[in-house]
Amino acid sequence: MSERDITPQKQFNFKPKLMVIVIVVIALLVLVLSSFFVVDQTEQSVVLTFGKYNRIVGPGLHFKLPLGIEKSYNVPTQRIQNMSFGFRTEKAGINTVFSSGNYQNESLMLTGDLNIIDVQWIIQYRITDARAWLFNVQYREKTIRDISQSIINALVGDRAILDVIGRDRASIETKAQEMMNKKFSSYGLGITVTTVKLRNIVPPKGEVQNAFEDVNKAIQDMNRLINEGKEQYNKEIPKAQGDAEKMILVAQGYATERVNEAKGNVSRFLSVLKEYEKNKKVTKDRLYIETMEKVFATNRGTDLIGKNLTNFIPLKTLQKGAVK
Amino acid sequence: MKKFVTTLVVIFVVFIIFVMLGPFYVLNEGEQAVVTRFGKIIKVETAAGLKIKTPMVDHVVKFSKRILSWDGDAQRIPTKENQFIWVDTTARWKITDPAKFYASVTTLQQAYSRLDDVIDSSVRTVISDSPLAEAVRSTNLIKQSEHKEAIQIKADDSASKSMEELLKKTSSTALFDEIKLGREGLSKEMLTAAQKVTPEYGIQLIDIVIRQIRYSDDLTQSVYNRMIKEREQIAEFYRSFGEGKKAEWLGKLDNEKRSILSAAYEKSETLKGNADAIATKIYADAYSKDENFFEFWRSIESYKKTFPNFNKTLSTKMDYFKYLYNPNGK
Repeated sequence: MSERDITPQKQFNFKPKLMVIVIVVIALLVLVLSSFFVVDQTEQSVVLTFGKYNRIVGPGLHFKLPLGIEKSYNVPTQRIQNMSFGFRTEKAGINTVFSSGNYQNESLMLTGDLNIIDVQWIIQYRITDARAWLFNVQYREKTIRDISQSIINALVGDRAILDVIGRDRASIETKAQEMMNKKFSSYGLGITVTTVKLRNIVPPKGEVQNAFEDVNKAIQDMNRLINEGKEQYNKEIPKAQGDAEKMILVAQGYATERVNEAKGNVSRFLSVLKEYEKNKKVTKDRLYIETMEKVFATNRGTDLIGKNLTNFIPLKTLQKGAVK
Repeated sequence: MKKFVTTLVVIFVVFIIFVMLGPFYVLNEGEQAVVTRFGKIIKVETAAGLKIKTPMVDHVVKFSKRILSWDGDAQRIPTKENQFIWVDTTARWKITDPAKFYASVTTLQQAYSRLDDVIDSSVRTVISDSPLAEAVRSTNLIKQSEHKEAIQIKADDSASKSMEELLKKTSSTALFDEIKLGREGLSKEMLTAAQKVTPEYGIQLIDIVIRQIRYSDDLTQSVYNRMIKEREQIAEFYRSFGEGKKAEWLGKLDNEKRSILSAAYEKSETLKGNADAIATKIYADAYSKDENFFEFWRSIESYKKTFPNFNKTLSTKMDYFKYLYNPNGK
């Protein structure tokens, strides 16, 4: 529109009426353009009239008085903001890259038992009161950082190192969130801390960390040794119980055998005895001869000496010695 | 027409000049101002909005009404027990009396340097007058429980229990000092000390917080060494406990094995003995019916078994051969 107006101006250079129109149009344009402002869905906007708080408006296109009479400040009230301590995220993504810089001046702290520990954590917060956020505190980010640091330091300083690493982790997080919110609201900072998350809690790098890890190894060793003992026990005791069982069974077998044998022998003896008593001489002789017969029949090589050759025995012994 | 335009331009120019001379000024939210005329304070404005002043003669100095931060350098301070620690503190403050502030310190830079002096000295006084534990800890929470690895020996309650009892002997729970004020209390003391001075500058100190406490570098190394030793000590305990438990299991093994086997031995011998007794009785009862015949019977039974093993040289003197020379048996 303005271009069209300018074109005739060049042709009729000295017409004051046109000049006035042009000036007025430009002035109007500037006025119109400077009296609208856009507020994003994630934001709220605080409008000041001559520097004085007037209203807060939500997302959309809004009107304000131009020429600096009303000023608007957009504040991202819906966005959750992140702040990290002891580390920095360099590039967030599927494989988030963490800055390799050293932020130990933030993360090294003293524990209640006067040990040193390296604690990394993040906080997340949302601006809940745009007006308070804008006008109550001057160095807002720095204030948040300072307070967050001091509270985590105080909480860690109140606990033993093993508790900080282990069981008190969750309680530090909730306690820190509570304390931060209390502190920030006392400043009227207009934010709410939604999350405090402890990230790595480790002993100082190097030898100290190794010593801590060695304790974990020692615990593993301990369990291993105990299991070794148990293994040996389990390996031998059931077997010993089996052996014992066997020993008893064998003895039982022996006992039965012994008794049965006795009964058998005796019963045979008694039977023979019964018959023997009917005719003692004959039975006895018969038994004797039968036995001798059986004994001599099964063995070859028996020397038999006539009853008058009384000197034979030493001779035979000599013969044996000569053969040797 | 031309006259109208000229008038318009003149009015415009005059308006511009008037505005530029500045009878108005805007005081934003979060700001306050001191208005001086020829160096003398004539007015203090604390509410935001459009304000009027006399052009040319009035001078407006604006100050922040918001909460400001103070952040000093960390200081190396000896504690009561003469351990050097780095104490890093920050503070929040605001200008509550702009007139006084303007009169006494005028600029923020000046104010910061005053605050440096005041806060540093109060921090130093309080820290060097308290034991380290007071500065580090906030409560006596640490004394309430034991601090150890959360471990237990799997499926072995009695071992876990005996381990705990052993650990108690070397644990150091009792060694923590009772603290009275704690970190927060010390912060309050610092604040009270510093607050005595700051109102003179029109400044209200809101708080002083200890942001960080660190050991000094030479102390750090020895603390590291102590931590390492402490860990090593506990690691040794676990290993030795494991060895002990293993030995205990092996001992238990030996004990049980011996008792099982010996009990079995006892039982088996008893069984055998009983059987022998029964057998003996059976034999005795039977054989005693005719002792002569028993002797004969048992002997020939025995010959059958033992004879084959002898090297034999027999004499025909035996009864068996009595018919060998003579049909009458003589």
